[in-house]
Amino acid sequence: MEANKTKKLRSKRRVERTSNAVGYVILTVISIIWIIPYFYLILQSFRGEPGAYTTYLIPKEFTVDNYVKLFTDKSLFNFPRWYANTFITALFVCVIQTVIVLATSFALSRMRFRGRKGLMNLLLVLGMFPGFMSMTAVYFVLKEIGLTQSLVGLILVYVASSAMGYYISKGFFDTIPKSLDEAAKIDGASQHTIFFKIILPLAKPIVVYTVLTAFLAPWGEYMFSSLLMFGDQTKFNVANGLRQMLQRENIAQYFTRFCAGAVLVSVPIAALFIWLQKYYVEGVTGGAVKG
Amino acid sequence: MASLSLKHIYKVYPNGVKAVSDFCMEIADKEFIVFVGPSGCGKSTMLRMIAGLEDISAGELSIGDTVVNDVEPKDRDVAMVFQNYALYPHMSVYENIAFGLRVRKMSNAEIHERVLQASEILGIKDYLDRKPKEMSGGQRQRVSLGRAIVRDPKVMLLDEPLSNLDAKLRTQMRAEILKLHAKLNTTFIYVTHDQVEAMTMGTRIVVMKNGFVQQIDTPKNLYLYPGNKFVAGFIGTPQMSFFEGTMTKNGDKVDIAFKYSEAKISVPYEQLIKVRPKYLDGKTEVYIGIRSEDITLDPDAVAASPYKIKVVISHIEELGDESLIYGDINMQGDGYVESSTRVIIKAGFQHEYLAGQVYEAAINIDRMHFFDKETEETIVPRLPEVNDVDCEVKNGKMHFLGTSLPLPPALVSCPEGKGNMLLPSNALRFDGELKAKVVSCEQILGKYLVSLELGGRRLFAVTDEPKEVGAAKIGIDCKRITLSVGEAKFEPMEELVRFEGTFEKKKEKVDTEVRGKIKKKDAINFYLGIQGQHFPAPEFIAKKVFATLAPREVFSSPFYYDFTPYDVTIGKEGVPGTVESIADYGDEKFAKVRVGDKVVCIRTDSPVSGQVCLAPDFDKAGVVEAKRGIKLI
Repeated sequence: MEANKTKKLRSKRRVERTSNAVGYVILTVISIIWIIPYFYLILQSFRGEPGAYTTYLIPKEFTVDNYVKLFTDKSLFNFPRWYANTFITALFVCVIQTVIVLATSFALSRMRFRGRKGLMNLLLVLGMFPGFMSMTAVYFVLKEIGLTQSLVGLILVYVASSAMGYYISKGFFDTIPKSLDEAAKIDGASQHTIFFKIILPLAKPIVVYTVLTAFLAPWGEYMFSSLLMFGDQTKFNVANGLRQMLQRENIAQYFTRFCAGAVLVSVPIAALFIWLQKYYVEGVTGGAVKG
Repeated sequence: MASLSLKHIYKVYPNGVKAVSDFCMEIADKEFIVFVGPSGCGKSTMLRMIAGLEDISAGELSIGDTVVNDVEPKDRDVAMVFQNYALYPHMSVYENIAFGLRVRKMSNAEIHERVLQASEILGIKDYLDRKPKEMSGGQRQRVSLGRAIVRDPKVMLLDEPLSNLDAKLRTQMRAEILKLHAKLNTTFIYVTHDQVEAMTMGTRIVVMKNGFVQQIDTPKNLYLYPGNKFVAGFIGTPQMSFFEGTMTKNGDKVDIAFKYSEAKISVPYEQLIKVRPKYLDGKTEVYIGIRSEDITLDPDAVAASPYKIKVVISHIEELGDESLIYGDINMQGDGYVESSTRVIIKAGFQHEYLAGQVYEAAINIDRMHFFDKETEETIVPRLPEVNDVDCEVKNGKMHFLGTSLPLPPALVSCPEGKGNMLLPSNALRFDGELKAKVVSCEQILGKYLVSLELGGRRLFAVTDEPKEVGAAKIGIDCKRITLSVGEAKFEPMEELVRFEGTFEKKKEKVDTEVRGKIKKKDAINFYLGIQGQHFPAPEFIAKKVFATLAPREVFSSPFYYDFTPYDVTIGKEGVPGTVESIADYGDEKFAKVRVGDKVVCIRTDSPVSGQVCLAPDFDKAGVVEAKRGIKLI
């Protein structure tokens, strides 16, 4: 009887081990496929040999020239300017959009007013239409008020529809017990105090999420930027600018520099993720109510 | 520390659901009030309205002398303890307790002192640096209490604070909350669905069901004198046994017959003298309630009692110190399920009882309860409403209880013969010529119940003032009596003068002084419309109407304007009506006036007839929103 039990246990363990092994192999293969383009990009950014394409993966000669020239050789492409443009745009959009999204979400989650449901549905439906549908109209409106070829115009376009992104953070605010607001209200807190002292500290993960998405969207955006800044290279963002390096006449000379630029573009985002990731996963409502 | 006044409070949600209806109560300073009732009865909604977390749809809520209907929660000086603690999870215990003080910009030194003091009272001084999630349920609830007491509020509101704790901790915290109440000397309002909590903690208990207050009284009075079947069943463990039956007055006895059973007992009428007379006809069905300790199987008690019924035992629950015996008064009945014949009997261990056997049980008739079958209200009110008296009309006089009174002109058409008179307890006055004796006088529910003896019969009078025991001279307010002789029946006079009307606005030119000159300026004035007549709306009515109804409802809703016959005068201007007759009750005369399709009674001294105009005194008006029946004033 006892021996039979041990045998069964062993066979169960063997099945578990095999299925784990198969799982890991599949995951490893997927990871390799996923990581190869990044690996290729980083290696190419350090390639010393000229030319657009090579038939080998690992460069024969390693150099940091591509990075240095990005910042020093501004004769054709002014990369530092594009970088600064992108950073400024993303920073402003990040701040303005975060404020709008969180405030909208708080209002829709916590306050009850006439037309609340209708407004929520309207925002949701509007958000389903792709942004580029309105591109031409937006361009002409901005042209009328003289905001084309201007970073202000671009920021305006990016933040204009911020409130439509309320859904995820509203969902998070909804999970924070309302009794906390009520307790604070009785304690003497205003809506303002409740938002800043109670809700926001509890909603760190969603604040971080909002900040990241608000920063990321303009950082890699291409379409609106290329439309709005058409004809003025000094106002380009990095996506738009780097695209210039891949034009037929430039690609042979600038491909490795393009790769270096692409690596540099991903640095702030990676840094941001590393800095904020602990909040991303931290659940904070434990102990708020019965547990 | 403050008293609270809750007047005709309603909570009506936009979809028309009434969560609380006509809640009236006066709460004295330092009282411990418990709201109790099943889920969805409106008790938490009422508490949240007091806290300011829910809007009050209609009515008036005062804390101290201030009406707080529109005052923000933070300015009401109340503190609240929530069922789920509602502690701020990102703050330490210290910060949780200090939060309310910080928001009020108190100095750090004072905050520190108060937090330490509160934490000491509640025994959480060692946990001040901890976060709520690092604490047990009981400790968290203490922090929640600490957060409430640290502000030294006028009123403490507790919303089922012990529901999330286990049974042992609940008992312990119950004692601690009582201790806290004694120490803080402040008004506590406590919501619970647990009747044991309510009974053990409250100085007074408010029993609620479906948004309506069922009864407000002390725990003991609720247990002994439940106002209706719901309260009787809700308060007390095990639940009161309810039977259906009829009561028949048979001389000086009343026969009580239990339905679906052979059981029958005969009790002296004196025991049931407070029962409303219409229930003693042997036809009107009633609910009979008996608590498990008011019926016994003890052979000695059964032998000594004349009030016995047969019970077949179905099963017995042993509780350790006593046992609960489940049985049925129908010999074919099943005592396992609740029915109109199931009975629960408490028993000690002196005697052994066997399931399946039939025993005789003795009922303590002093503690039986009776309820109307339709309304489920008690038919033995603590303040009896009416005395049923045999009488005879002869030679223009009413003869009753060995005395007589001349018939007033309003009743003079009553035929001669024997009949009976329903004499309401508020129709007995202490200013007449009839010689009676005050046997006792006790204060009940804010009024005085005076037991009188007249012609060897017990009569009950309800007064606002206490009366001394001994000889007294009494009179009868004839407009309130019901006199039945043969086929003839004279109903009491209708004392409510109700006009249907509207609330209207008019744009008018009003003389206004502008830089020393009188100029005509546009102003909006409000009027009460009754039968095509417009009366300027007194400010308090206009304020109340706008405070309780949505602006678009104010001018479209129908209203009732209520008065007493004394608050309406007959004059040259006012609501048009036609005098139909004059009811002369001797010392008072009333004109019966037809207004529209209704007849109202108006006090008058001079003879009036034909077309008249009624001028109501709107300062004394009661106002009811007619569509939803919301009493505004």
